[in-house]
Amino acid sequence: MNELDLLKKDWNKQKNFPNISEKEIYNMIHKKSSSIVKWIFIISVLEILLWAVLSIVLSDEKQKKMIDDYHLSTFMDVATIIHWAVLVIFVYFFYRNFRNISVISSSKTLMNSILKVRKVVQYYVWYNIIVGLLCMIVIFVNMMMYDNKIKLTLNDVENSDKETMFWVISIVIIGLILLAMSALMWVFYRIIYGILLKRLYQNYKELEKIEL
Amino acid sequence: MEQLEQLFISQVKEHQNLLHKVCRIYTSNEDDHKDLFQEITIQLWKAYPSFRGDSKFTTWAYRVALNTAITLYRKKSRSINTIEIDNNIHKIDFTEYNYEEEEQLKLMYKAIHQLGDIEKALVFMYLEDKDYKEIADTLGIGEVNARVKMNRVKTKLKQLINP
Repeated sequence: MNELDLLKKDWNKQKNFPNISEKEIYNMIHKKSSSIVKWIFIISVLEILLWAVLSIVLSDEKQKKMIDDYHLSTFMDVATIIHWAVLVIFVYFFYRNFRNISVISSSKTLMNSILKVRKVVQYYVWYNIIVGLLCMIVIFVNMMMYDNKIKLTLNDVENSDKETMFWVISIVIIGLILLAMSALMWVFYRIIYGILLKRLYQNYKELEKIEL
Repeated sequence: MEQLEQLFISQVKEHQNLLHKVCRIYTSNEDDHKDLFQEITIQLWKAYPSFRGDSKFTTWAYRVALNTAITLYRKKSRSINTIEIDNNIHKIDFTEYNYEEEEQLKLMYKAIHQLGDIEKALVFMYLEDKDYKEIADTLGIGEVNARVKMNRVKTKLKQLINP
């Protein structure tokens, strides 16, 4: 008898499992799940809320005055409407994909549907970063054009021999801020993917490899 | 207790060996076994409204159980306690005791725990005598590929036992 036959024979006669009572099963189904789907849902909702709350918190009175001073009121009004519309669309897709996760589908479909949920949130985060950057650029340009103090400084710089150095330093500072923000995001996502999705990705790739 | 809940509980109780077998393949100590058993039971209960009763409870349950083990379950302990595997996994009756066979079985179970999650699923379905169509449907791959992969896993298992 080869090893596999021996294993099968042993497998079929296994009777030494603990006997779980009805009371224990009852208690189990009233406990909270700790599946990755639950964690992905919690993290995703937090991510969506974080960006939504950020845009509310950042629109305080001081900022409103600054927007008026820089002639950005119309731009910001349009941007805000688009932003909330996009948020609603993202939430819809997130919810729809989340509802599509079914534990009775095939393993590959299940993994794919979980990854799809993550992808929507990922796109949402990227959208926020890109829109945030665009807004920063627009604000920066308008600041140069309309802020009296900056206009004066720029005039002084133009009249001195340090114009090039001024621009280099400004660009380096902006670059460093962007780099720090990107690094923070990268670490955040490495942690999420590292903890929650590493195994799922490996298994998904394994299933895809079988099909090659 | 609701009628549906009671029906579910009695079905899980009746077919609990199936769940234990999945746990045996995917975990290597008692705590993880209990943990996975609980998570599978929760997932079964959550999916129970989708169980229409036209298929066998076991056919439906083992897909949920495997999906939970492969995809949804978050392993708490990372280390594999091989001593515990050896002691818990295989308890043979004294009347049937065969030292050589028992050693071989220990090696087999140890080798299974070294396999990847998908490979474990294939071994599980092989041991449960599932046909290739069912294996392919459960994993979401083609039947021919399931057959090829199964042969590779069997070869890998043999190599792990006889390096």
